Amino acid sequence: MILVPDVVSPVVVAIYAPAVFVGIIVALIGLFGISIEKNDLQVLILTDIVGVAMLIIVAAVGTDLAESLVLPGLVVELAEILAICEILMSREMRKTGKSVALIPTPLNFDMEVLQTAPVFIAIILVIYGAFLSGFTGGAIAGGGILFYVMSLTVRGLPSDLWEGIAGASGIAWCLWLIGFIILFVFPNYWLLGLMLAAFGVFIKVAFKAGLIGVMNREEFRKE
Amino acid sequence: MLEVYIWFYAGCTLVIVGSLATVIGPGVKDPLVRTLNTEIPAVGLSLIFLTYNHTIALLTFIAATSIITLILLRTIVRLEEMGAEL
Repeated sequence: MILVPDVVSPVVVAIYAPAVFVGIIVALIGLFGISIEKNDLQVLILTDIVGVAMLIIVAAVGTDLAESLVLPGLVVELAEILAICEILMSREMRKTGKSVALIPTPLNFDMEVLQTAPVFIAIILVIYGAFLSGFTGGAIAGGGILFYVMSLTVRGLPSDLWEGIAGASGIAWCLWLIGFIILFVFPNYWLLGLMLAAFGVFIKVAFKAGLIGVMNREEFRKE
Repeated sequence: MLEVYIWFYAGCTLVIVGSLATVIGPGVKDPLVRTLNTEIPAVGLSLIFLTYNHTIALLTFIAATSIITLILLRTIVRLEEMGAEL
């Protein structure tokens, strides 16, 4: 017997069993592939398939809970693949003694559009993101900041500006947590809690994307 | 007119066929082919997310998939430049 709350739509309930079944089949296919494969890089590519199976099973829940569980799954998968790729490459570098640069071509452009366009596009994206607020707005504003940093990275960037932004990102995350605590502890002030959470996560996500630009700068400075 | 279930089952078919193609498809000994084949289950999963109205999950999934593909392709090329056997 399966207990289903009334708020779940019948469409989602009807495709719950097929979705879980498909997820299990795909996971078995992916794990079979991993078991017959010996090369590390091939196994890493095949873990993608198992990740897809995991996402199908999570998505089959079909409510907001699924959506909030899919996001960390994706982030963890991305971080894992990034880390294992680095490990594979450094192992190979130690074995052969050769090293290959991250970026194939030297990045020394001197074009006028790199000075004028990034500012304009970044300002528009940040304003639109602030208007949206929340996670989506943060992603859009962060895209704007990232674009700005990436195009400035090519020409060099003032250094201690972005470390301050990292601190602001941490404070905004605290705002988000306080907003959530207010929602649970003082439900009467739900509007304050909602606004704190929305704008806290907006600032945090926006500045996190900006931080990728900082990492890139460290990477390029080595050359 | 088109029922919701069509998109769901199309997504399921794409996921299963795509994962089979990634595991035992033709030419998958080449890691480049295998990486490109993983895009097929990714499209199927996008259709499944679309059926469930998981908008933000779909958005993040598309962004994460493109970044993962970029990382994997660059890793393959760098490993080949270093002369590792793949």
